[in-house]
Amino acid sequence: MNANEFDVIIIGGGITGAGTQRDCAMRGLRTLLIERSDIATGATGRNHGLLHSGARYAVNDAESAEECIKENMILRRIAAHCIDETDGLFITLPEDDLGYQQTFVDACRHAGISAEIIDPELARRLEPSVNPDLIGAVRVPDGSVDPFRLCAANMLDAKLHGGQVRLHTEVTGFIKEGDTIKGVHTRNRQTGEECDYYAPVTVNACGIWGQHIAEMAGVKVGMFPAKGALLIFAHRVNNLVINRCRKPSNADILVPGDTVCVIGTTSTRIPFEECDHVAVTPDEVTLLITEGAKLAPSLSSTRILRAYAGVRPLVSADDDPSGRNISRGIVCLDHETRDGLKGFITITGGKLMTYRLMAEIATDAVCRKLAVQKACQTADIPLPGSEEKSYEAVAQKIWEAPTTAQKAAASRMGTSAARIRTGNKRDDALICECEEVSVGEINAAIDRLEVSTLTDLRRRTRVGMGTCQGEFCACRAAGLLAKAHGCVESERTDLEDFLQERWKGNFPIGWGDTLREAEYTQWVYKHVLGL
Amino acid sequence: MKLQEYTESKHNFEECMKCTVCTAYCPVLQANPLYPGPKQAGPDGERLRLKDPYFFNQALKYCLNCKRCEVACPSGVNVADLIQSARIKYDHTPPKLRDRILASTDFMGKLARPFAPIVNGVTSLGITKTVLDATLKIDHHRTFPKYSGMGFESWLKLHRKEQAEFPEQVAYFHGCYVNYNYPQLGKDLVKVLNALGVGVQLLEKEKCCGIALITNGMSAEARKHAVHNIGQLRQAVVDKGLKVLTTSSTCALTMRDEYPNLLGVDNADVRESLLLATRFIYEKLEKGAQLKFKPGYHKKIAYHTPCHLEKMGWGIFSQKLLQMIPGVEFTLLDTNCCGISGTYGFKKENYEVSQAIGEALFTQIRAVNPEVVACDCETCKWQIEMSTGYTVMNPISILAEAIE
Amino acid sequence: MKFDTVIIGGGLSGMIAGITLQKAGQRTAIISTGQNALHFFSGSFESMQEPEQRVLDLFAEAGVRLHYTPGVRLMPLGTFKESALSLEDVDLFPTPAFAKKVLIVNFTGYHDFFSSFLAEGLEKQGMSCRVRFLNLPEMERFEQSPSEMRSVQIARTMDRVWEKVVQEVRVLLKDEDTVILPQVFGLQDTSVPGRIRQNIPARVIFAGTLPPSVPGLRTQILLKQRYQLLGGTYLMGDEVVRAHTHRGVVHSVATKNLDNHYVEADSFILSTGSFFSKGLVSNPFEVFEPIFGLDVEFKEDRNEWYNPAFKEDQPYMHFGVKADANLHALKDGKPLKNLYVAGSVLGDNCPEFGTAAGKAIRTALHAVDQILKK
Repeated sequence: MNANEFDVIIIGGGITGAGTQRDCAMRGLRTLLIERSDIATGATGRNHGLLHSGARYAVNDAESAEECIKENMILRRIAAHCIDETDGLFITLPEDDLGYQQTFVDACRHAGISAEIIDPELARRLEPSVNPDLIGAVRVPDGSVDPFRLCAANMLDAKLHGGQVRLHTEVTGFIKEGDTIKGVHTRNRQTGEECDYYAPVTVNACGIWGQHIAEMAGVKVGMFPAKGALLIFAHRVNNLVINRCRKPSNADILVPGDTVCVIGTTSTRIPFEECDHVAVTPDEVTLLITEGAKLAPSLSSTRILRAYAGVRPLVSADDDPSGRNISRGIVCLDHETRDGLKGFITITGGKLMTYRLMAEIATDAVCRKLAVQKACQTADIPLPGSEEKSYEAVAQKIWEAPTTAQKAAASRMGTSAARIRTGNKRDDALICECEEVSVGEINAAIDRLEVSTLTDLRRRTRVGMGTCQGEFCACRAAGLLAKAHGCVESERTDLEDFLQERWKGNFPIGWGDTLREAEYTQWVYKHVLGL
Repeated sequence: MKLQEYTESKHNFEECMKCTVCTAYCPVLQANPLYPGPKQAGPDGERLRLKDPYFFNQALKYCLNCKRCEVACPSGVNVADLIQSARIKYDHTPPKLRDRILASTDFMGKLARPFAPIVNGVTSLGITKTVLDATLKIDHHRTFPKYSGMGFESWLKLHRKEQAEFPEQVAYFHGCYVNYNYPQLGKDLVKVLNALGVGVQLLEKEKCCGIALITNGMSAEARKHAVHNIGQLRQAVVDKGLKVLTTSSTCALTMRDEYPNLLGVDNADVRESLLLATRFIYEKLEKGAQLKFKPGYHKKIAYHTPCHLEKMGWGIFSQKLLQMIPGVEFTLLDTNCCGISGTYGFKKENYEVSQAIGEALFTQIRAVNPEVVACDCETCKWQIEMSTGYTVMNPISILAEAIE
Repeated sequence: MKFDTVIIGGGLSGMIAGITLQKAGQRTAIISTGQNALHFFSGSFESMQEPEQRVLDLFAEAGVRLHYTPGVRLMPLGTFKESALSLEDVDLFPTPAFAKKVLIVNFTGYHDFFSSFLAEGLEKQGMSCRVRFLNLPEMERFEQSPSEMRSVQIARTMDRVWEKVVQEVRVLLKDEDTVILPQVFGLQDTSVPGRIRQNIPARVIFAGTLPPSVPGLRTQILLKQRYQLLGGTYLMGDEVVRAHTHRGVVHSVATKNLDNHYVEADSFILSTGSFFSKGLVSNPFEVFEPIFGLDVEFKEDRNEWYNPAFKEDQPYMHFGVKADANLHALKDGKPLKNLYVAGSVLGDNCPEFGTAAGKAIRTALHAVDQILKK
């Protein structure tokens, strides 16, 4: 086989694509992942980061709920360093129907989700930030997940099993021979370089852009972009996930994650053209704060860090091209049986939570096409970094008496944090002080995790995710990247792009301390540094 | 309130702009590379600690609690309070015996006083210092303050009747230093106040303000002192309508700010009536009261603003008061920490850092070469006397000396 | 406590006003919530026309040596910005191509100085560059702290060991005509930059770092010292919480620290800065001035506060307090007789005074002139 030939090409570097690559690679296939931007830039990187217990779907979509809880338990085992086992509450407020609680609990139990009705007083003790006026509470095994970390870990494992990755690379067309997809034409967006890759099977794991990719391949997959807006608060207000115990609606989940918490979300149909430029509107901001304050009143006086929006990849049911019957469940389409197109599979729908199952389904389909008979092990073998559950134990083992930055590194990298123990004190120097990210951690990410830009780095290490939003760390990190890539010119542009991305998320909530910070950032970059 | 009309956070940590100005003014950072600095220890660290107390950093113990980071902060973040609160909340290391001894000033004072001459003799011996250094790790360079045979309280009780006859009355929170070590300062205050027609009363029963208990990991004990002392202040302020004065800048800061901010003890009804004596006296003189100064009094004074007084912003009162004395040649020393920070500098592991921090101040004092250094804090006094040999007097004592 | 003039806000504007009033024989106080924006001062004042002699004199008397040389200045990221008035250790060049061969020297592990960006920026201008790193044993203490290899900490050490840096640079120097060092010299000892220049046989340029700025901190210390030497009262770390105004005249202010001990004055100057220093405060609905409730020029529609492109000029940075032609603050459209506004808190109002640092200085002096006229 020559260098551009693979057993399977996976298009799309979201969690579905990365998970599929991992599963394929673990089953011995030669895999290539192609992604037009960075990993987790679609819906994967723009959701709550909620490790669903599935409770939210129990009443209306039992199948989804069952899938969720099973995967929830699996992910706790295999993706320990990406997950925060926070637990969750479903609260009933005075204006809600307390009667719904029993329906809810019954449905949960039916789906295999542990749901414990607890006294509101206990709920207040467990979660001091919760709305004290709550009249009911149910405890469920919700958690939070860092989707960037999860995605990076899947990609890393695929690479460790021989997989290859091409990020910042766009598929510009398919190589077809009659009714068979043989490969893809690609163009690197950073270098302009064009390259063709070949494989007997190609997997379309592009989320909402899957419709476009399918069209390019010559088949139709009807999808409906549904935009969701969210807000990140500057610090972690709650330690348990807080949900509203009622029919799922807007902005009724508050998820703690690392050093922040996230409130979301909304649901608005948008045209395809908007998918690449989603922005949060002032009305959405108001809605999110208002509803969020009902879950945790302190949110109305908590600094907001940034606003962002993502697009859900909703798929229309196959026999309804008009799209009225929209499914949130997992959709795996073998285009050979469906459309007569050989060598092409689409895997879409689903949730971040159920990615592993989606990947298993897709990989099973790939293996069937390749007549490969290997069992799926992704539910049993931990992702790299997740071999040890407790980051305290990890830090202790590596450093004995770890500093705060070393503890933070262990909580982000899991067992992979051993790689940053170089014995060179200079590698302990902090680049991002808000999140305590060291030179060593950044170098480790550059080394193994396909980092080309500051934004890539940010996703993998949390550099620039703190309250200063990259004020200082961005240029320090830019210096490190310039050194690693040997190119300063592109790093200058990268720095501008990074700051633009941060600003995009700041100005929709540009008041109070956020505006002060923005003014300071403008001052530092324009007048002090000369950007 | 409309949504997001204003934002609130503990000790204002979310108002931090990450501007790093606090790190430029932290005295510890200049001397001890193991200290993460106020920004990291305070607002940066707080976000991590909220996720998991595991992220608490033991190195926060190097914070002097000098509050200079707060004075420098353009955003109004109470950085030092954030750090001390984190220590109180997350550091469960039981205090060493040495720290308990150093922090229990009431207890040690009561023990030592009856045997003051013996205690004073023994603590000044080189061999004692060597033993204490080796066993308890109390640095041998440190000179222990002397204990006084008769406490201030006992002395004032003897003069209770005559004090009660003055038309205006104040209560005096004398604190540990005046009561056990240097009652003369209390006597000086009484002299000055009496000259202004103000009589001095004691509170019914004081406890040590508790600052050393807070910084040495004994906050539960400190809280008991706080509750007790505020109760005492209420009796004086609310029941009797008196102002309560103190001659120690740290006692003032502790009871006014540390009690509510660190210990959660509310003092809103008494806070504004608790004053540093120099402020009270200055305000009287500003309003027209007169003091008769000794003709021909002359003193070359260099004034050192204690860190806590710098934080309270009341150094201006002590400075202006001293400048009102005819014959005083006044120099305002640059604002620098002396390095001792109460019990901090007595600990062997901190000695070198303490001295490094204070070096700039000591150098300037030597350059100015005053007759006396004026300062409102007793531990600054010990540090400056131990490190430079210059005599240090509280402004009240200087005032007492200057009036007839 | 009573003063002739109380200045609220101790930044560049406030200190210029304070120093000038003290020199004219007034008793003044400056009330400042913490340290100021001079800590991020790059070392050169932007957009200044030729400054008045009294401005240059004021700085010189404080020990802040300035030079007026319209041209361009080398920025930390290797770009060039037009400037005219700057501190003596900040060079201004007639054109960006100011050298032929350049040696850029940094400390190993110092990430706040961007040697690679500088090199690339200079090479774009046709200069050839070599970058070298120093490993001084005195810097090892900073390696023990993950977060303290920063400009001010290094500068404090450099005040003592700058000669070693000079020695090492002399060894590294080949045939370069220019040496570029990070701006971490001359914090307490202001003679150090000059002495470094004398001892290195090439032109020495000090290029900026991430904040805090060493020349900024030095300037702040010198100006404050000057003000206090002239008898000014600097109330550091205090905040004005309330003003007592009657019939258009401000009588006194109450501060956080001095609580019911009001600070009285005949005149007041508001130089509290912009959003960063809370001279202006914003929430989702409005922008306001928090002490006096003065009239503020801002856009009613919050969407108009921002330009979505970070690079572009931002509308909110132009908002400010309204004042009349003589800088009397306006409240409900009416001027307050003894309250003057100076500096960036004005935003774009009173454009006749220029912009940025020039405006800060000119408005401060104009307010002072008005006060002294009375």
